[in-house]
Order: sequence, then structure tokens, then C-alpha cells
Amino acid sequence: MSLKIEEAEVIFKIKRYSPEKGSYWQEYKLKVDRFTQVVEALRRIKVEQDPTLAFRAACHMAVCGSCGMKINGEPRLACKTNVFEMIKKYGSNVITIEPMDYFKPVKDLIVDMDDFYQRMYKVEPRLHPHKDVLEGKAEHRLKPEDQRELWKFAQCIWCGLCVSACPVVAIDPLFLGPAPHAKGYRFLADPRDTITEERLKILSDSAWRCTYCYMCYEVCPRDVEPVTAIKKTRAYTKFAKEKTPVMTTGEKHIEAIHDSLMEIGKLDEAKVYLKTYGLLNSVKDFIFLFQSGKVKYALVKEKPVENISEIRKILSGENK
Amino acid sequence: MEKVSYDAVVVGAGLAGLMAAHEIASAGYRVAVISKVFPTRSHSAAAEGGVAAYIPGNSDPNDSPEYMAYDTVKGGDYLVDQDAAELFAYKSGEIIDLLERWGVLFNRQPDGRIAVRYFGGQTYPRTRFVGDKTGMAMLHTVFEKTSGLGNVDFYFEWFAWELVRDESRVRGVVAFDMRNMTPVFFKAKAVVMAAGGMGMLYKHTTNSYIATGDGYAMALRAGVALKDPEFVQFHPTALYPSDNLISEAARGEGAVLRNAKGERFMARYAPKKLDLAPRDIVSRAIMIEIREGRGFPGGYVGLDLTHLGEEYIKERLALAYEAAKNFAGVDATKEMIPVRPAQHYYMGGIDVDITGKNSDLIGLFAAGEVACVSLHGANRLGSNSLLETVVFGRETGKAVVEFLKGYTEPSSDIDKEAEKAADSAYDVVKSESGPHFGEVLEKLRDVMWDYVGIFRDDGGLRTALSEITKLREEAKKVYVSDKSKVYNTEFYNALELKNMLDLALVIAYSALNRKESRGAHYRLDYPQRDDQNWLKHTIAYLRGNTVEITYKPVKITKWKPEAREY
Repeated sequence: MSLKIEEAEVIFKIKRYSPEKGSYWQEYKLKVDRFTQVVEALRRIKVEQDPTLAFRAACHMAVCGSCGMKINGEPRLACKTNVFEMIKKYGSNVITIEPMDYFKPVKDLIVDMDDFYQRMYKVEPRLHPHKDVLEGKAEHRLKPEDQRELWKFAQCIWCGLCVSACPVVAIDPLFLGPAPHAKGYRFLADPRDTITEERLKILSDSAWRCTYCYMCYEVCPRDVEPVTAIKKTRAYTKFAKEKTPVMTTGEKHIEAIHDSLMEIGKLDEAKVYLKTYGLLNSVKDFIFLFQSGKVKYALVKEKPVENISEIRKILSGENK
Repeated sequence: MEKVSYDAVVVGAGLAGLMAAHEIASAGYRVAVISKVFPTRSHSAAAEGGVAAYIPGNSDPNDSPEYMAYDTVKGGDYLVDQDAAELFAYKSGEIIDLLERWGVLFNRQPDGRIAVRYFGGQTYPRTRFVGDKTGMAMLHTVFEKTSGLGNVDFYFEWFAWELVRDESRVRGVVAFDMRNMTPVFFKAKAVVMAAGGMGMLYKHTTNSYIATGDGYAMALRAGVALKDPEFVQFHPTALYPSDNLISEAARGEGAVLRNAKGERFMARYAPKKLDLAPRDIVSRAIMIEIREGRGFPGGYVGLDLTHLGEEYIKERLALAYEAAKNFAGVDATKEMIPVRPAQHYYMGGIDVDITGKNSDLIGLFAAGEVACVSLHGANRLGSNSLLETVVFGRETGKAVVEFLKGYTEPSSDIDKEAEKAADSAYDVVKSESGPHFGEVLEKLRDVMWDYVGIFRDDGGLRTALSEITKLREEAKKVYVSDKSKVYNTEFYNALELKNMLDLALVIAYSALNRKESRGAHYRLDYPQRDDQNWLKHTIAYLRGNTVEITYKPVKITKWKPEAREY
């Protein structure tokens, strides 16, 4: 039984912004003990030193999603970040705080979240059960295992950290973003939902635009794993009535990878490319590769791995 | 000033406000929901443990809505209006089924029915839950459902400041767009106040930073009474310094409280029940330890789990372990968790009947924590507040629909009153020098904690009243240094401070007035419950700088008061 007492004087270096003054850095010194969250430090700075400092915060328990910001460059909730842990991790008593990336800064650490909300609304974030079920005339019980699967993705708190950190959101206007996909999948996979076709129209194309960089997985403060929702949404592509080029290419790519693994147990890049993009496109890209001096990488001939039959067994599910 | 017109304006976008908005909009009326935060950031999201419900066919075979109502009445130390408790219990199963159909992912039993567990004060288990995020799951679902209706407009990050009234009716709300500080008059036939609680009045609270008592103060300034404002609930173990709740389950599983000397001090206060004595006793014991200098510097004690072993802690006390790790950076397998008592819930509120209707002002309704239907009486039971928000949110919505059906347009012009209300907000920022809101705010939170908190007595409460009166004067000089119109959070903090000071006066005065101990209201100088003189509701009005008190009888239908023993 013990309780170690530790205090430190910390410098919070905060990136501030206002339409009148533009962007600038300001430093605040604050003595905190080892139990202090960054959000509590910010609240104290506002109350004790500078009432003009603007930031969003509410629950201080990582459930309202208000206080997303960059702390020492990491996209984090200020409430779920302990000041002393940041000091130890970075070996410095100076902690930098900036608004989230991607969103437009409005005032100090407050960013314009409208873009995020519009993305969330796009995925029709509400259950559409059968009319009789909705009116209580019929019952559609949810199995415990389905509840567990859906709840994982329903825990998104709309903080926006994943969208702010997503490299694809920044460059591809047709990608919905990680959080919208988690939300979209929560309803797509609900056995009681009746508008699967409409949901696939919204989600399928976008799902194939993710690059699997796993930033959303890294930054999500609730471990929602939006990238997992995206993977699972891709598996629904076969049910989509209309397929966009991105979806078709995506499916062909998966098939080509599967074939390559069955054949040699690893990726034969040239073959995968050919099967995914077809002869004409492959020839075009081959010319580009030739011009940029990278053609040698495409022509590496992979040897099959030993015991290829074992890999085939795994892939065909015989090992289960 | 810009004007918009709606059939109904709902202030607050937590569970109660959204349920009311859903009900009113579903009947075809146009609704505006005003909230100073985006709806999913409302404090409803913070409710963890669950929502009580008697579900026919999915409850203990010996249980009944009668038992549920009785538990609520007894838990509230007989200051509960029993018609409210009965309505609450009888509607509980049906509304949980409704929410389930809307998509709330309640934990399941193997056969797919909603699962259930015990909570404090329940004769039979009734608590339904979604992991440890029940409030968040319900809030998101109800928001998603309500935002799908065409005739609800959400004004989020708008700060509602004053009710606008004529001689007898509420005529709307003046609110500021926080993005640019523009005031707008929301003209409305009916107003539903659902603005949530007031924990920030206290130095230590488990509530969100946004729980600043805005709704109570708006009502008070419009001449509307609060009922039972002296009843404030405290929880013994909040994590230091974030004040996030550490569930009682931790002590149930063997955690013990220790002071800075390492003593298991509960042995002195409750030799038999020790750390598992009732909440109020444990809270008082911790406070005495801290006050008498046996706490840790900063003012807290330790919750010791270390003797239980890492495996046991991670399996049985995962929540407490995670909270300590995430929010205080403490590894509870190796050292004690720093804890102290904190304000948790406010039983008092805007005086309404079981339909959510207020009788001081025609067209004014209230639901959720900001309202006092007299469901919780002197002390709220766990799992009852989430259910209250949805049951009475919906009942209120229904009453508003009935009200709107019979509505006739008043002839008097009211726009001037709205202008005045907007000007009164600017009053707090006119001066060019003076104290910042924070200086007054922190003093107020200290005063409320020290003198209107867990222990109360005549001397302390009188000190509180004179301090609060001084702070109200000081607050008139508050100076807002940020001159920008864009997200000027300092401006809204100054308005919140004014709200808190109005409410603080009413709480302290009512606490001084009630000369007995009942539920969460504990008077050192009157330690007994006194049914002879005090089995009645306090009805408190704010008249300028004074508080006027009248009384209302407690509605007793079936259960005569008896000693509250567990």
C-alpha cells in the first residue's frame, strides 16, 4: 500500500488561432501533479491564467468526444492523456498542443466539425427494422454474439480524431472516412435492418478507397477499429447490385492475390497486376514503369514456397 | 434582433430533450432543439451502469411495477410523489422495449432477450445495460432517431440565455449562436427545459464541465419555482483529480479506503460495515479524514486494491483499474487509487407535475435532471435517472402536443422583452476591467463544497449565504477580456457563472430552511428525519437577491413513511 506524490512544472505550448490575430503560439506554465489529465490542465489554465483560451471539453471521461486535439503531435483526447505520461514518453516538460489536422481551425483548439457531421449523416446512421418490429407488433431478437459484434462499432463517440488523421480523407473526396464506415457497418451488419441495398450503395464504393494504413486503428480512443469495419464492409461487395470501377478492381485484386497465394504461397506482383487491371492497362503501366526505370521490380520471378500444400490447405479452409 | 418561430423549443439535447423533441415532432409540429454542445456530447452520455426497468416476461417472476415504485419511494426517503413513482415503474418496460427497437444495443441473455443485473436499492434486479456505456448508447440512438425526422432543427453550439415571458405565458427563448455571438429570439408556443444538471457549482463533481445549472437559473429569473432545491447527491469515491466515478463495485469486490497514514479509517466510522457502509456515511468519513489532515496533499484518500492481486483486479475490477490508468495514470495493481467524494446528481429542479408541466408559467415544461417531478425525492437510486429521462421526456412531449392542440395565439407584442434579454447578457461583458469569471467561479465552488455540501449546519449555511451574496456583487463587475465574437467561450463562461450564482443562492437558502436530515440533505444540527414538520416539498422562488419559500404536500398513494433502513 502506497501512493507516490510527484509534481512538476509543465510548459504547455499551445497553438492559438483567431480570425483577427491569425495563428500564433503561446506558452503557459502550470504546476500539476502526476494524476492530472491534459484536459484538466487546460481547464485550470483557462480559469487561473487566461480566460480567453478556447477549447471544447465536457465529460472528462472519454465518452463525449469533445476534446480531440494534437498533443505532442499525436491525435488524442485531452481527457484520456495524462500529463506525466507525456513528459516521460517524450522526455520533456514542454507539451505542445494543437488543433486537430484536416478540419478548419475556428478559434484556438476549436475546429469546424461540420464536415465530420455531414460525413456521419451520409451513412443513414439509424436502424430501419421491419415496420411491424418498429411498431412492436413483431419481435426480432438480437443474438448475444450479434450484439457484441455490433456494439464494437457502435462505440464511436464522434470525436473526429480518425478523420483528422486519415490520409485518404485528405485527398479522396469520395472516401467517407473511418468513423462513418464504423457507423455504417454497425447498421449494415444488423440482422434487423431492412435497407441493406441502400446501405451498400452508400458504403461499398467508399470502402474500397481505404489504403489500410491503420491510422484510425492507432488513434481511436475507444478502440472501435474503423479499418476492421471497412474490411468487413468490403466482404458485402458481392451483394451490391451496381458495381463501380473501384469496387470491381478491388474484387479482382483480392481474387488475384488469393490465386497467387494458392499457386506459389506468396505474391507474384506481375501476375496480380495483370489479373487486376487487365492486359491493356497493364501494358500502359508497364511502359510507365519502363520509363521510370522500375520495370525490374515488376519482373521478379517468385519461387513457390516449400510445403505449398500446407498453405493451400489453410486458404481453402481445410485446417479449420 | 433576428427572430425564428417554432411550435416548440427544447433547451438541451440530452436524452430528456431529445425524447420530448421526438414526441412533439412525430405529431407533426415544428421543433427547435437548442444545445450548447453537439447532442452526443450531452451529459447523458456519461451515465454508465444502466437503466432500471420492470419488463413483463423478462423480470424476476416475483417482481412487479409496485415493488419498483416502492423501492424508489423508500430510496427517496419518502419525499417522492408516489403517483410519479408509479407512472415511472409502469411505463419502464414498454419504453425500454421501444428503445431496443430503435436500435439501442442492450446486452442480451442467451435467448436474445435483454439482460438484467442488480443495482443498489432494488428488491429484485431491474438494471438493463449496454456494457458500461449505457447512457452513451441510449443517447446516440435517440439522437440518430430524432435527427432523422424532418421537422426537428438542431441548433447545437447555441447558448440559451433567457426565457421570454409575458404576464402569464412563456413566449420563447433568447439564445446566442456561439460561432458568432449573434442573439436570436426563438419564438415558441411551448418551451421544454431539458438543460441538465449543475455539478459545476461544486468544487468536486462527477458531472461534465457543461453542467452549469443554466436551465434552473433561466427558470428562476423568469419567476418559476424550483422544487426541493436543497437535495444534492454526493458519491463517496470519485477519482482524484478528474472526479470520474469509481463505482461502488470496487469496494464490493474488496477494495478498502486508507488515509495518508495507511489506516483503514472506516473502522472508526462504521465498525461493522466498514467500507461498504451507505454512501453518505462513507462520504462524510472521507471528508473528516481530509479535513483533519489525514488525507493526501491536494485533499484525497487512497482506495486500496493492491492486496487483491493483479489477476483478480483485472478480471473483477476492470472498470476501476481502467479508469485509474486512463484518467490518473495510476496502476491500481501496484498502488492505491486517489479518491475523494464528489457531487453526483441534483434531485431538485424546476417544479413540474407528472406530465412535465410547470404551473407558474403557461407553456413551460421541463424534463430530465433539470426538472423535479418528485421522482427521486431526497435521494436518487442508481439506474433511475436514465429511465427518468426517457419516460418523462416522452410524457412531457405528449403533454406539449396536447397543449399545442388547444393553443391560441396571444395578441401582445413581446419582441421588446426579447431585446432586453439579449442586452442583459451583454451587461456581463460591458466593463473594461474587473475580475475574470474564473476568480469568482472557483470561490463559489469552494463555498458550495465547504458549506452546502455533504455536511451542513446553521452556521455553515449562513456563511455560505453571505459569501454567495458577496460573490453575486463581485460577479456584476466581471470583465470579459476576449473581445472576439467568434467562439468567445469566455463570454459564455461569464453567463454560466451568473446562472450558477442564481442557483447557488436558492440551494443554500433552502438548505438552511429545512431543519431536518433526509436523504442527501444532512444537517449536523438536525440529524433526524422529521416527518411531523418536514414531510413536504420546498418550493423556492428567486426574487431579486432574496429567496421566497412556500411548500407543497408530498403525494402519498400507497406507502406510508417508515424508517429508511437497509
